[in-house]
Amino acid sequence: MKPSEKLLQTIRERDIKPVPKGYFILRNALLWTGFAVAMLLGAVAFSVILFCIQQTDFDLVSHLSHSRLEFFLGLLPFFWIVSLIVFLVVAMTSFKHSGKGYKLETGRLAAYCAALSILLGALFFLAGGGRELEQAFGVRVGLYESIQEKKVKIWSMPANGYLSGTIETAGDSTITLHDFNSKTWIIEYADAFVAPVVALEAGEKVKMIGKQQGDGRFRAEEIRPWGGPGMRMRQK
Amino acid sequence: MLTPKFICDGLSDLEIIRKSLEVVDYFSCLYERYEEKLMRYIKRVAFATDEEAADILQESFIKIWKNLNAVDQSLKLSSWIYRIVHNEAISFLRQKKSFGKNQNIPWDDTRYAELPDDTLPEEAEELEYRDKLTHHILARLPEQYKEVLILKFLENMSYEEISDILKIPEGTVAIRINRAKKIFRKYAEHPF
Repeated sequence: MKPSEKLLQTIRERDIKPVPKGYFILRNALLWTGFAVAMLLGAVAFSVILFCIQQTDFDLVSHLSHSRLEFFLGLLPFFWIVSLIVFLVVAMTSFKHSGKGYKLETGRLAAYCAALSILLGALFFLAGGGRELEQAFGVRVGLYESIQEKKVKIWSMPANGYLSGTIETAGDSTITLHDFNSKTWIIEYADAFVAPVVALEAGEKVKMIGKQQGDGRFRAEEIRPWGGPGMRMRQK
Repeated sequence: MLTPKFICDGLSDLEIIRKSLEVVDYFSCLYERYEEKLMRYIKRVAFATDEEAADILQESFIKIWKNLNAVDQSLKLSSWIYRIVHNEAISFLRQKKSFGKNQNIPWDDTRYAELPDDTLPEEAEELEYRDKLTHHILARLPEQYKEVLILKFLENMSYEEISDILKIPEGTVAIRINRAKKIFRKYAEHPF
């Protein structure tokens, strides 16, 4: 028997049918959907990373000792960085398995995916999505410690020279501050550097570097806005 | 029932596929069209005997039959067929290696009997020696280099076709061929 006859016989005997076209269409659609969803999630992760970076006081590093530097590094959004990498890998894998995805070199594909994530992520961040999502995560996901919570921790160490909270009243050389643990402080700031964007008015959230003078008293050396533009900038 | 050769010859690959989906008999046209080339390719890439190669080809065509609706019309159909056959041959080779079977297939010299009558005996001898040497060196090459050399220089495929068969970028094909040539040359200097 000729091999081609044997082939036809096997197909008939085993009743082998071609896989329906719909299966391949669906498979392709799933791969492209996987790619699009992973790209979008990657962009969202990137926007949160941007928000976290914006909220992190990198200029504070020079003030920190080794152990506190480690603590400060804890502020970096590792969860979102890992998420971004995972989503990029998923997007690349989906793309590689779709149609002619193999034609694109891995390095180039990674660069294109990263560029698209950065672009979409930056747009999402500018629209305020990064902040919203990060805060929603902090509220809804029990295990997740939001950047605000981490920030409050680092800026609530008056004995180490870091204090933050909301101004209740402001005088010429002293401020009454309500910290994030609901304790009231008298702040002396006569010799302090006050960032130009900060308005020393009731309601302004600030963080400061200085020295604790005793229970409930703190001498500020630097006063900065809590996050983003200060009240003065917002009023403009 | 087999489709007569004269009918097969009048059909393009895509027409054969379209007709096969209606009447399975037409599928034999595709098999017969590629049988010789693919048998040779399987033997080269998987160091298979005639019998083993025939089995690999049968299994490959069953896979081709199952995936007939997945034919990508933007690809050359031959590349798509080679891809399936290649994967089947490589998985056979890996299985063979893992079972520690002998990969040194006795060299088939029957084709030298088919050389033109006016071929000088020295020429035939030289040709046979070169062929055996090539086979010997290819057997020593890592899989990724061996396959690109076979596709490029023995199957006369373009970079685009090799890229479609192996599912790797054309740039990677070029790099692998370049490296493979260097290793091949090195082995050729001290073949035994």
